[in-house]
Amino acid sequence: MKEIEYIGEHLWLGKLGNFFLILSFVASLIALVGFYLSTKNKEYLKFARNAFYTHAFAVTGIIGTMFFMLVNHYYEYQYAWQHSNNEMPMRYILSCFWEGQEGSFLLWTFWNIVLGIILQRSLKNDWEAPVMAVFSLAQVFLASMILGIYIGDHKIGSSPFLLLREHPDYFNLPFVQGYISDPNYLAKITPRGLNPLLMNYWMTIHPPTLFLGFASTLPPFAFAMAGLWRRKHNEWQQIALPWTYFGILILGVGILMGGAWAYEALSFGGFWAWDPVENSSLVPWLVLVGAGHVMIVNKHKGGSLFTTHLLAIGSFLLVLYSTFLTRSGILGEASVHAFTDLGMQGQLVIYVLAFVLLCVALLIENSLLRVSYIMGSCLLMFFGMMYGYKTILFYTWVLSSIGLTAYSYNKYFPKEKDEEELYSREFWMFLGSFVLLLSALVITYFTSVPVLNKLFSIKKAPLKVEDYNLWAVPFAIVILILIAAAQFLKFKKNNAKEFYKKLAVSFIISIAFGITCSIPLYFQKNLSAASGIHKWEIISYSILFTVGIFAVLANADYWLRVLKGKISKSGASIAHIGFALIIIGALVSTSKKAILSKNTAAKQVESLGEGFSGQENIFLEQGDTLPMGPYLVTYEGKEVKGIDFYFKVNYFTKNPNGKPEFAFQLQPKIQDNPRMGRAADPDTKHFLNRDIYTHITAADMRTVIDSTNKNKYNTPENYIRHLGDTIFASNAIIVIDSIVSNLSQAEYEKNDSLLEVTAVLKVYNSNGEIFKARPRYIIKKNTVIPETDKIEALGLKFSFWRINPEEGSIEISMAEKVNNSKDFIVMKAVMFPYINVLWIGCITMAFGTFIAMIERVRKLKISKANHDS
Amino acid sequence: MKKIHIVGIIVIAVAIGVILTSLKNTSTYADFNEALANPDQEYHVVGKLNKNEPTVYDPKVNADEFTFTLVDNKGVEKRVVLHKSKPQDFERSEQIVVIGKMHGEEFHANDILMKCPSKYNDAKPQS
Repeated sequence: MKEIEYIGEHLWLGKLGNFFLILSFVASLIALVGFYLSTKNKEYLKFARNAFYTHAFAVTGIIGTMFFMLVNHYYEYQYAWQHSNNEMPMRYILSCFWEGQEGSFLLWTFWNIVLGIILQRSLKNDWEAPVMAVFSLAQVFLASMILGIYIGDHKIGSSPFLLLREHPDYFNLPFVQGYISDPNYLAKITPRGLNPLLMNYWMTIHPPTLFLGFASTLPPFAFAMAGLWRRKHNEWQQIALPWTYFGILILGVGILMGGAWAYEALSFGGFWAWDPVENSSLVPWLVLVGAGHVMIVNKHKGGSLFTTHLLAIGSFLLVLYSTFLTRSGILGEASVHAFTDLGMQGQLVIYVLAFVLLCVALLIENSLLRVSYIMGSCLLMFFGMMYGYKTILFYTWVLSSIGLTAYSYNKYFPKEKDEEELYSREFWMFLGSFVLLLSALVITYFTSVPVLNKLFSIKKAPLKVEDYNLWAVPFAIVILILIAAAQFLKFKKNNAKEFYKKLAVSFIISIAFGITCSIPLYFQKNLSAASGIHKWEIISYSILFTVGIFAVLANADYWLRVLKGKISKSGASIAHIGFALIIIGALVSTSKKAILSKNTAAKQVESLGEGFSGQENIFLEQGDTLPMGPYLVTYEGKEVKGIDFYFKVNYFTKNPNGKPEFAFQLQPKIQDNPRMGRAADPDTKHFLNRDIYTHITAADMRTVIDSTNKNKYNTPENYIRHLGDTIFASNAIIVIDSIVSNLSQAEYEKNDSLLEVTAVLKVYNSNGEIFKARPRYIIKKNTVIPETDKIEALGLKFSFWRINPEEGSIEISMAEKVNNSKDFIVMKAVMFPYINVLWIGCITMAFGTFIAMIERVRKLKISKANHDS
Repeated sequence: MKKIHIVGIIVIAVAIGVILTSLKNTSTYADFNEALANPDQEYHVVGKLNKNEPTVYDPKVNADEFTFTLVDNKGVEKRVVLHKSKPQDFERSEQIVVIGKMHGEEFHANDILMKCPSKYNDAKPQS
């Protein structure tokens, strides 16, 4: 068979890209071996470093090649075809780059390299080799995810440089098949382009931040692994501390950005929906925060060695686990925004399990036991692959891993001799970290329902937002109390009385403040009854509110009175205030959120119970005015800019005279993308103390009212009515007000010439305005000539064409103009009170964490300088 | 009592609570026949839209009611009354999950999840 010479393809690019892919994989493998060898013999160090830098070069090469492909629109490549197109503004080129799985893996790899190089340059001691070996191992796995080669039938990774006509998902499709025999196919295909939901600045800043956050869990992990490896459980912690705080900062900012994006631009109707994808970035953060705190305990007091290792390692493993959840397709129906399955489920499972295996293996000190554990695990995997029984084998492995971890902890791990004091900072910080870990495990367990379904062959549905909230409240209460109190205790022994005395001021103020705020918030009848929440929920909310205030005040108090307002030491206090504000803002804006667009037409099906009374959307015709909460809302009309439809919704407030006064206009948008379908983009009015969120759920998407039909009427319909009866038109109600005749019955019978009967119709439009129509029924020499009458403003035409004297009824036919159905929207309006507290909290927490990180770096430098001199 | 015991008690308490919560979450994936057998029970039914049957959405009458016909994975067809507005791009959905319970011959849903080829997912294009 003769090969077809396709016109216009740039095959060199794919070759170059694949070369870089393989180079990056091989170089990371060599770096891994090199750094491993250098732990024993320092002479290999230079070699290993070079390999790592080669890997870095190769990754940069892949990224460069991909950008070249995207910028020059090489649509013969599936990645460019799927994620970009010509019409797309260039500023979204970054978004195209990381929209797909392969690009986002590359983004992660890239950040790992940046962190790895900084780390390698800052470590010129015994830690370099083991830490960088762990780094290289992570890079080997990441590089393999985009390798895209086949070993037998097993696909390893998914390459971004696949040709569209060779891509396994596409080459069978009719449109590709149709072109494939055509040498000039490239000129004919249309690229799909970027998802319209992702064409905004959030998509430009959120993924890089989040992936830098994921990458920044690697240094603490690498240090902890190196600590296990070298059996030096204590030394690494101080060096890892600034890295841990860096991770807390970046990952935290990344998560909150995601929340802000969901709130501002997506139609979730809130900033946190407990979606598996959201949860799986929150969980590693919680654990990392725990790790950071226990490491501080370790620094001041020593000890807590097992916990620091557990948390630092756990955070990274949970990042891996979340990668598995969101990218393997296992979430299936449970999440709306997981990645699609690229057929890498097996690879991702192996990736996660291999790291768990490595952690346990490093923990085991007895080399015979260690080797047999590794061999045993490999055997189990081999058995599972060959003969099945995967689930049972998996349990066996998990249980033996847990058993060995417990055994090694007991046998080899240094333990503290004496019990911690109750009144000591370390005990409370330890407890706080422990609660964070516990909450992370609970969220992980809930999020893993689809995984559990698979393991146990059950069909449980994912948990509801209310279940998550139910658990979040008690955890938040405990954490906030610990945040408020712990700083007032010194490390080691404290005087309990003094401690309570110091705390008393902020405690009393916050109780007073909490009660005065909770009553109007949660205990006023008219408000709480409407939202339909349970009594104990109200109580737990007010407790949470109060402890939130307590945490804010106590930390402010500690900073001002004890630290004397010093900025350099304020990191913890400020970050804690920020965290407490986030919780308060989230609590109030969520629990007191009010649906303004109450749909009174919705009928409640009583027997179905709660939750079946959809009453959140309101129908508005152009020009209509409806009351919504404290506002009067009108729909002014739409403005069409290309494929973007902006719907102008005007909000009015009532002034003291009861007259409406224009307040503000919102322009929620629907994008009608011919390739991608419709995407709604809400608009929000921000006030200092509340937000008004407006979202279009459905709308009249006709752009032009057909002008040829402008004056056409629909076929008239006939109505038989009596005096006083009504007729319903689509935009008006018609009442037969009176029937007037020019002659009396006697006159008509006598003089057989002309009878004129006029029906006087009173027409009410939806605003209550009254129009009158007077169609006439005329009989001239026994011939009926009906005379029609129109109401132009309403597009209605009436003709009165029959009288039924026996029944006393008349017959009127009515026609409506074709375009009488007016432009309309179905909208949802929600008020989020005090959501600004949440955003202020986010900024405060990020700022505080940043100060803490800088302080840790400074202290590390000082201690290094002392050490050197 | 050592502090480690307190920690242990907390862990056990939380574990019990978590298990209770997940047991309380009785909602499972099911097909229409299972839902029909237990009308009081909430289910997630996965299926596809029957494009030959009409979909009814008249926001003028009720902006929060949308009716369509769903074929579940076993091929059983039921009218579904969704107590929400009609989702954008409903007709383009490849797969639909409705959450709710049977009421007579109709399935009443309080929520819906859709998999569209266009959004979030980069599934195969239709052409």
